[in-house]
Amino acid sequence: MNKRIAPRIQGDGGWAEFVSFEDGELTLIFRGECSKCMILDRCIDWISQEVKRDLGEDIVVKPLRRKPFFWDN
Amino acid sequence: MAFVKVVRRGMLPQEWALLRYGWIKRGIIKKKYEITELEIQDALQTGENTYEELTPYRPLKRGDLYFSPDGTVFIRGRGVVPEELRDKKEKVWFFLQTAAEMIVKINGHYAGGLDPNRDRILLGPWLEAGKWEFTFEIEGYNRSKPDDERNLDTMNLRGCRQIFEGAYVVELEEGLLSFYYDLTLLLDVADCENFDEEYRKMVIRELNHALDLVDYDSFAGAEEASAYIEEHIYRNRNFGGTGTVALVGHSHLDIAYYWRRIHAVQKNARTILIQMRLMDRYPDFKYAHTQPYVYELLEKYYPELFGELKEKIKQGSFEPVGAMYVEPDCNIPAAESLIRQCLYGQHYYRKAFGITVDNAWLPDVFGNSWILPQILKKSGVDYFVSNKMSTWNDTNRFPHNHFLWKGIDGSEVYACVPPTHFITWNMPSQIQENWDAYQEKETGGQTLSMFGYGDGGSGATEEMLELMARFDKLSVMPKTQHMGAGEFLHRNLKDNQKLETWDGELYLEMHRGTFTTKSDLKAYNRRLEFMLRDAELLSLLRMRQGKAYPQEELNQCYKMLLLNQFHDILPGSHIHPVYEDAMKDYRGLEERLQALLLEEGDSYFNTLNWKREGILFFANENGGFVRKGERGYFGMPDRGARSTGEPRSGFEGDGASETDASWLEVSWLGISWLDTSPKEASVRQASFQRTSFQQTSIREHSWREGASLCVETPFYRIRFGEDGSIESLYDKRMEREWAAGGFNKLHLYQDMPGIYDAWDILPGYKDVEFPFTVEEALHLTFADGQAAQFTALLGTPEGRSAWRVILRLFKEDPGIEVEHVVDWNEKHRLVKAEFTCNVLSRELMCDTSAGYIRRETHRNTSWQKARYEVCHHKWCDFGEKDGGIAVINEGKYGLGVEEKGFSLSLLRSTIRPDILSDLGHHDFCYLILPHRKDAVEAGINRRAFEYNVPLVRTPEKGLGFDFAPLYLQAAKLSEDGKYVVFRLSEQDGLRGKMKLPFRAVLMNMLEDVQREAQEIAYGPFEILTVGMSVEDFLAGEAATGKECQG
Repeated sequence: MNKRIAPRIQGDGGWAEFVSFEDGELTLIFRGECSKCMILDRCIDWISQEVKRDLGEDIVVKPLRRKPFFWDN
Repeated sequence: MAFVKVVRRGMLPQEWALLRYGWIKRGIIKKKYEITELEIQDALQTGENTYEELTPYRPLKRGDLYFSPDGTVFIRGRGVVPEELRDKKEKVWFFLQTAAEMIVKINGHYAGGLDPNRDRILLGPWLEAGKWEFTFEIEGYNRSKPDDERNLDTMNLRGCRQIFEGAYVVELEEGLLSFYYDLTLLLDVADCENFDEEYRKMVIRELNHALDLVDYDSFAGAEEASAYIEEHIYRNRNFGGTGTVALVGHSHLDIAYYWRRIHAVQKNARTILIQMRLMDRYPDFKYAHTQPYVYELLEKYYPELFGELKEKIKQGSFEPVGAMYVEPDCNIPAAESLIRQCLYGQHYYRKAFGITVDNAWLPDVFGNSWILPQILKKSGVDYFVSNKMSTWNDTNRFPHNHFLWKGIDGSEVYACVPPTHFITWNMPSQIQENWDAYQEKETGGQTLSMFGYGDGGSGATEEMLELMARFDKLSVMPKTQHMGAGEFLHRNLKDNQKLETWDGELYLEMHRGTFTTKSDLKAYNRRLEFMLRDAELLSLLRMRQGKAYPQEELNQCYKMLLLNQFHDILPGSHIHPVYEDAMKDYRGLEERLQALLLEEGDSYFNTLNWKREGILFFANENGGFVRKGERGYFGMPDRGARSTGEPRSGFEGDGASETDASWLEVSWLGISWLDTSPKEASVRQASFQRTSFQQTSIREHSWREGASLCVETPFYRIRFGEDGSIESLYDKRMEREWAAGGFNKLHLYQDMPGIYDAWDILPGYKDVEFPFTVEEALHLTFADGQAAQFTALLGTPEGRSAWRVILRLFKEDPGIEVEHVVDWNEKHRLVKAEFTCNVLSRELMCDTSAGYIRRETHRNTSWQKARYEVCHHKWCDFGEKDGGIAVINEGKYGLGVEEKGFSLSLLRSTIRPDILSDLGHHDFCYLILPHRKDAVEAGINRRAFEYNVPLVRTPEKGLGFDFAPLYLQAAKLSEDGKYVVFRLSEQDGLRGKMKLPFRAVLMNMLEDVQREAQEIAYGPFEILTVGMSVEDFLAGEAATGKECQG
């Protein structure tokens, strides 16, 4: 997450933070531009593919969206 | 009887027209042939033109997801023009709809660009003779600003991952396309309340009549509909309009913002490519492109396009504008930086295109310093263009669009603040709004409306040019004229005697937070500005020892600094990777400059052109103080006093013996020395004067009053609050009290400006305040006879941040240094240090880096109310005629203006665009300096230089002459290598004459020789550039060396 995924998402103004990984479920907080993205599911799918490719594991990504950035206190 | 609201469900005439407008658009593509031979490769851009290949090429088909976050794709393919289109070679297009940004090569040639606002490229010019097959290569990247795409058709395509909609060879229904542009134009007019209501009614009525003539299955009847519009709308001259508007094609390109600066390479190339292809099709089209830096990038990475660009510039269709190297922030960079922006920018334009640009094109900057007119004028720039004051001010309407802008020294430039935004899509409504808002209708000539998409580049579109060709047909529109930027400025502003004058800074009543956001960048910028000054000066002096002047290295270093002064980098309004890049640049730059400074040996060199007076900190591992993480001593340069570095028991602070004035002798630009070896240092220690705080221990001069700590020094009786604030500051010299409320008092405010988070501090920022908790009350932590240090530890609510306040008092210096060591972990908070002064004044003096500006502190009018947060440089001062309070900083620019003083903005914690903005460790200092007389007589500006410019550890010989009372702002080798250039700045508001001790020439800031001069006259706040031949400079070595040996 820190070396491969998060920097890529930051490059587009987004933000993804690791919360937990249990029983094949990766929970991430999405902030920044991700918090208002209407097609975040495509990015989540991409994260799963990256994990599968690099680590060989099938995972499910559970997104926790922060409120849109301008309400996010 | 209950009221029943009647809801209209039928379509209004305008809605009916809009619906059919959408149908027309669907018919524009007459024939469409899918290209199926396509491959794609994912890559990650790692540098300006380097990539990491993430995948091999794989087949790409319609419906596939493509792009990944921060990713680049390379697409390649092969297509063929179908037989039925081969007799229409010039009308066949390559079509690909995307929300990404793409540079397209066809048969190896740069054919055009695709993005959310452009979906086709003319194919014919790139087909090889007799061949109908073609290959194409696409470099695609996905870095549009999230809210900057205005094409509704591509809104649903955008995002880090997009669906590939397919690539096609298409033929257009050209008659229908022309009709579509008619509709685009007229529907915009019909929707704009700025136009005559009866005209708009007529337009909708007649439009619907025209649309009735079209069959929406076959699109037959479009020509008749066009003819109907021509006859019934365009020829209707019963309605009139007023105004005259100049239309200038332009694209604003942020070098970094929601993308890193490495990505500006492609954004710029795509923008220039698109505009040149439009010029191919529309020979009368003219386009203005700014920032020499991006031309450099094109020359380096796209030489083929650059060659074509040079031709377009010669032809006059492509126009380089903007004399500055980048579009810098114009608040925070110091005068010499702004001069170098012009110098390097103009020299590049001269070298690349043989031109000197006479305008500064800064549409998006967040306000403009008062020092600019002089710098522009002396850099060959007569015209200044900047949009924000007219469209973004939150309180007052800026009263001019065309005016003379008078600078701090009295220099004047012609200024244009266009009435509307710098990004428009050339719609009639936008042009009418521009004219309506224009304030010099009777005196200023034409008004300026820029058109072209921007922020991320891209510029004008075919649609904008097609609409422009129809403007004359609308009787209600202002008269429009398409022209170049220079032509507009010369025609309307030059020698215009009717223009009024604005004398003062161009303060933007918005984005006040950008003086403070990303505080590390600001502090680094300040430090590097002075390091560059020292590196250039010392490199010059070393020429006398036969060493080569490292001109290329110094120029590269300067350009790196200038690049990071871009108006979305230095102000802090960018995503996190941009911050990381800037910090990496700064760290690299610091290392390179340290290598140039060659610090070694036991001697210190003072690069300022006067003898220092203020307290100095010398890093030394034996020192007893820790300042900004470094051990060292404090010393007074013109006295024999230095702190010993040895702690005394308790508060005892003395321990020095006799005066030894020779241990540190620092004169201007001359040799000075300080032996810093541990052995020697201890010897010196033994010979210090036996005087400390009143020759007794500091303990005897400090006591507690409740929670307060009281301390007496040779200068003051101070009562500190337990949080490090100063409750009372009694000046024994002047027998007066300075504090009248919170003084050096920290405040933690809620700071939630909304969508412009990193940019703004709102006027009501004080409405919600959170208390600091005192974890450790202020107490003495170190004293050694010359200096005493007190520390308090504070916390923020819920212990999120730890804030250590360190106060230092000096025996020989009236300055009170405050250091803040902070572990900052907040969100939407602003910390300010309040200084409420026992001073009756209505003006706050603020350093601009080349003179001072006086700002009113009362709030009598909306203009003063709006300036509640301003930008200053090294110092500010709130004083009466015979004394005042100065605060000298080393990298803080935001300043709250208060009725009884000011507040220094220390830290923010915004979350957009960067979630992590300013989080982490901070360590910064400032000096509180109560003084006699006014700030000028007290020499506050000099003290501020001394506080910001450290001594350099090097055994150079001095110049041998000074330029007193002027400030030596810079000394460098001229760009042509023929002269040593001295930049002299009057900063105290004085007028005078000076005889120069060498055969001199006066230059402009571009280093063009103006005339020979043995004596120079200068006026208040004037900046002069004086040249001395390199031969004379080198020949003067022997004499000047002796003179400065001290």
